[in-house]
Amino acid sequence: MSEIRFRLNGSEVSYAGSGADRLLEVLRNTYRCTSVKCGCKEGECGACSVLIDGVLINSCCVAMGAIEGSEVVTMEGFRETRRFEVLDKAFGELSAVQCGFCIPGMVLAAEALLSKNPHPTVDEIRQGLSGNLCRCTGYNAIVNAVELAAKEGEGLW
Amino acid sequence: MVNGYAAASLAEALEIRSNQKVVPYAGGTDLMVENRSGVDYLFLGKIPELRNINEDDEYIRIGAAVTFTQALEDKKVPALMKEALKRIAAPAIRNAGTFGGNLGNGSAKADSVLIEFVSDARLRLASRDKERIVDVDKFYLGRKKLDLAADELIVEILLPRTGLDRYSYEKVGGRNALAISRVSFAGIFDERDGRITKLAAAFGAVADTVLRYKDLEETMLGKTLDEARELKEKYLEGYAERMVLTQGRVSAEYRKKVCMNLLGDFLAKFGI
Amino acid sequence: MEKISQSVVKKDHAPKVSGRSIYVADYPPEGVLCGKLLHSKVARAKILGVEVPKLPEGYFYVDARDVPGDNNVNIVLDDTPVFCRDTVEYIGEPIAMICGPDEKEVIRLRDECKVAYEELEPVLDFYSADEKFFDYNFGHGDVDKAFAEADKTYEEEFETGYQEQAYLETQGMMAEPEEGGRMFVHGSSQCAYYIHGAVMRALGCGPTGVHIKQDVTGGGFGGKEAFPSILGCQVAVAARKCGKPVRCVFDRREDMEYTSKRHPSFCRYKAAVKDGRVTALDIDVKFNAGAYSTLSAVVLQRGIIASPGIYNIPNVRVHGSAVKTNTSPCGAYRGFGGPQTFFAVEMFMSHIARDLGREPLEFKRTHLVKQGDQTSTCGKYHFPVPIPDMIDEVVRESDFENKRREYAKAQTGRYRRGIGMSMYFHGAGFTGAGERDLIKAVARLRKYKDGRVEVLASNGDIGQGVRTTFPKIVANELNLPLDQVFYEHPDTARVPDSGPTVASRSLMIVGELLRRAAIKLREQWKDGEEQEVEEHYKEPDFVIPFYIDKFEGDAYPTYAWAVNAIELEIDTYTGVARVLGAYGSFDVGTPVDYNVVMGQMEGGFLQGIGYASIEKMDYDSKGRIRNNSLSDYLIPTTMDVPRLKCMLHVEKYPDGPYGAKGAGELPLVGAPAAYLEAVEQALGGMKLNHAPFTAEDTLSAITKEVN
Repeated sequence: MSEIRFRLNGSEVSYAGSGADRLLEVLRNTYRCTSVKCGCKEGECGACSVLIDGVLINSCCVAMGAIEGSEVVTMEGFRETRRFEVLDKAFGELSAVQCGFCIPGMVLAAEALLSKNPHPTVDEIRQGLSGNLCRCTGYNAIVNAVELAAKEGEGLW
Repeated sequence: MVNGYAAASLAEALEIRSNQKVVPYAGGTDLMVENRSGVDYLFLGKIPELRNINEDDEYIRIGAAVTFTQALEDKKVPALMKEALKRIAAPAIRNAGTFGGNLGNGSAKADSVLIEFVSDARLRLASRDKERIVDVDKFYLGRKKLDLAADELIVEILLPRTGLDRYSYEKVGGRNALAISRVSFAGIFDERDGRITKLAAAFGAVADTVLRYKDLEETMLGKTLDEARELKEKYLEGYAERMVLTQGRVSAEYRKKVCMNLLGDFLAKFGI
Repeated sequence: MEKISQSVVKKDHAPKVSGRSIYVADYPPEGVLCGKLLHSKVARAKILGVEVPKLPEGYFYVDARDVPGDNNVNIVLDDTPVFCRDTVEYIGEPIAMICGPDEKEVIRLRDECKVAYEELEPVLDFYSADEKFFDYNFGHGDVDKAFAEADKTYEEEFETGYQEQAYLETQGMMAEPEEGGRMFVHGSSQCAYYIHGAVMRALGCGPTGVHIKQDVTGGGFGGKEAFPSILGCQVAVAARKCGKPVRCVFDRREDMEYTSKRHPSFCRYKAAVKDGRVTALDIDVKFNAGAYSTLSAVVLQRGIIASPGIYNIPNVRVHGSAVKTNTSPCGAYRGFGGPQTFFAVEMFMSHIARDLGREPLEFKRTHLVKQGDQTSTCGKYHFPVPIPDMIDEVVRESDFENKRREYAKAQTGRYRRGIGMSMYFHGAGFTGAGERDLIKAVARLRKYKDGRVEVLASNGDIGQGVRTTFPKIVANELNLPLDQVFYEHPDTARVPDSGPTVASRSLMIVGELLRRAAIKLREQWKDGEEQEVEEHYKEPDFVIPFYIDKFEGDAYPTYAWAVNAIELEIDTYTGVARVLGAYGSFDVGTPVDYNVVMGQMEGGFLQGIGYASIEKMDYDSKGRIRNNSLSDYLIPTTMDVPRLKCMLHVEKYPDGPYGAKGAGELPLVGAPAAYLEAVEQALGGMKLNHAPFTAEDTLSAITKEVN
């Protein structure tokens, strides 16, 4: 029985547990990536969003066996980047963070969107964030923040 | 790996499938919600043969582990299929969810499956020793019941290359994103020399499987639009009689009404 | 914009955006036992016994017998048990808690517990339920005479459903025994001192035997006002028994099915009209309280006080009751009774207007209260009522009158449009004499030798920004840079009781105490010394004393006001409504931080639109809530409503800091009426009377009309 090898926030790791274990729980419990939040375990809220091979994925809907050889990035890794700085500043300036529980996932959704589409329209931003529920803000400030980040971060994405 | 098998090729996957009791795992978006305990997964997401979209003379061939996002970004995938794919859940789910998984879950709510039904798609299934092609409507035997042997895997979806250009697609969910279909409808129309050559209508999320009534469709084939309009009332009555819908979080009555409205709208759109 | 209104980067922004904030589920699991509740599976039964599987070493079964103090949770009344007594009263009622180091094992053991129930007939029909937890009557004028003299009378019934707070972070509390026997309880919560009182009582200890800290909290909206007191008692009792820290975090289904939500309501309104004016309202309000009374008394009070709306009606009679059913106890949710009755009165006024051949907006305008008028409880509107100007703002911004005229014309085709408007208030702060007699808020400032100043208060930041706005007020008075003033999550061991984080009171009441404290500190400021100042709540002199037994006097010192308009398009083939525009003018006084206040307005408004449309929750014939997941109970996504257009109208309140009034709850309250009025117009002028109004409701209304 071999371990599951993958990259987590830039480091090689190997996981000795079950291939059926939930990535969300392994990230939180084994690797202490507590920025990855559990909101529903059903792929319905986006609070547990991570990037797997650069693509936005709900970590609650991933079994460990599926990420063998993949690169997983959580907020613990993403917050070290220049792109994060730009998103951080935009979210901060527009007070887009209220309770904060959806935010790490939301910011990663923004990153995934901007990676694909550096100059999104408002509709495209709303589409890009549509799997990330926020109960606090009504989304205005978040959408505006992503729009602002796209502008301020010109060239980064 | 504990509780799981990773396969690097289709052959390897079929070998495992023939020897072990495993649950095929493609995108995980349905399986992980079910959260079955004590199962061994066979991970298919990284098998190259299952991740391609190809075409031949007759079909667009979509690998079972192709994700919805991948298909949305592929020029070969027809517009009708894309209409359905872009309304599935939200980006993170579309990034993970696959065609094979959508089929394998056996739900009549599967949005890509509706398109496969209406377009007469076929499926290529394989086991270690043999391969077969099955029509998608024959593949679905009932709610969560599939014509898939314990040693078989879904390999490809064969979507007809032509005849899918004139269509209606409607998804009625509870909200505009992250919505499971409450009613979905797809219709395809075609005519030649003023006569109807295709009038396919399929309804998703309203019964144990996707509903399609080919005998009712046939009553319209070969007819001119004028003749079809004459027949329309009877044709619609046929649907109204036949469609016995399931009661869920929304009522069967609501679903039926929506289905009939959308079917009527589809006909009107193409002059019937 | 005033200086105090200028936005700053929120104090909790950096840790939250970077994922560094530690919510209760995020503390390392080492040495902490996981607790899982054994919930009742039936709505009403006598518990004959529980067969507990053999527990491995280190695993515990905790129930009512383990409660060292009183097995009653202190909320308003004491009828909610910590763990069930000899009966269970709703599906989900906690019978026991299994605790142990491994979560999966705890769940297995919990699921293997066999509860022997002797089932009793549950009360599930809210309409016929007659066991009243609370029953109130009040009014003024001569209603019978007005009805006798009326040109025309009206009678209508209105209903609203459950609403689930759906905070993104589920309920979670943790208890840690400390050296010396003190219990430390912390978690996701709004009201540290409520939990303090409750846990003291459950553990049978004095005030120093326990301390409560609010952790970073992933949303509350009222849902974490009373419920954490119950869960806090349960984990504290468990930790006392196990002798180890115990944490219980709900999963989403547990949270949605078993925790408190907004009360479903049934209202019957009667009106007398003479010479084109409503001369009397006779109102009956009924709330479904669920199995225990929790906060229903105060929710009902606020609901019935608001029930005549913002109209000057000379004769009013109100009866309100909160009845028991064998369902999950309802509790606080943003708006606190107001959304139910404002929905009813706004729809009713609109329907009367249309019956009289008048435009609802014009009709409502002629009935508006103004400064100096009497309130429903014979108090007084002491301050200007800015509603007429706010109507103008919303009308202008939404092009209301043109659209209303346009959409009133006969519409054909698949898609049809409508626009609707609502107007309402939210009474700022606690109802009646609550602040003066019950809460008696105390707030403190501590200045350290290095000149930094700490805010000491018990109001928790649940996203609404008090960790930022409190320091802003203090820094402003002390002329300090904002980074010199800070406010941590409250711990009852360190902070005075400045009251709970509820009733849109924190900024208005406690913010003002802090402003006064800061002035005091400024006057006494000595460089290099540690200093502390304290302020106590004092009721403003102008307030007409409120008597709850008669419902007489000023129920609120002042009011926050709002006007909403919602424009939508209905797909008549599917019943699906698409919101085209949502406009709101909100008067919460001076915004102490523009972005923070706008964030409250936008977020609350969207919750209100959800409540009006897609947020449907119900229970089945066994009393089980079926919509128990985020795929079954739908809240709005980014795609459901276009950019909300919120505007602030400032009518300053002299007793709030810089003129600020209560803000948090206001924006949710009026959306259902505006939404439904728009649906009515799109459907050609129907009269609708319940919310949420779903796609299915729409299609069935269309079908009924066709037949």
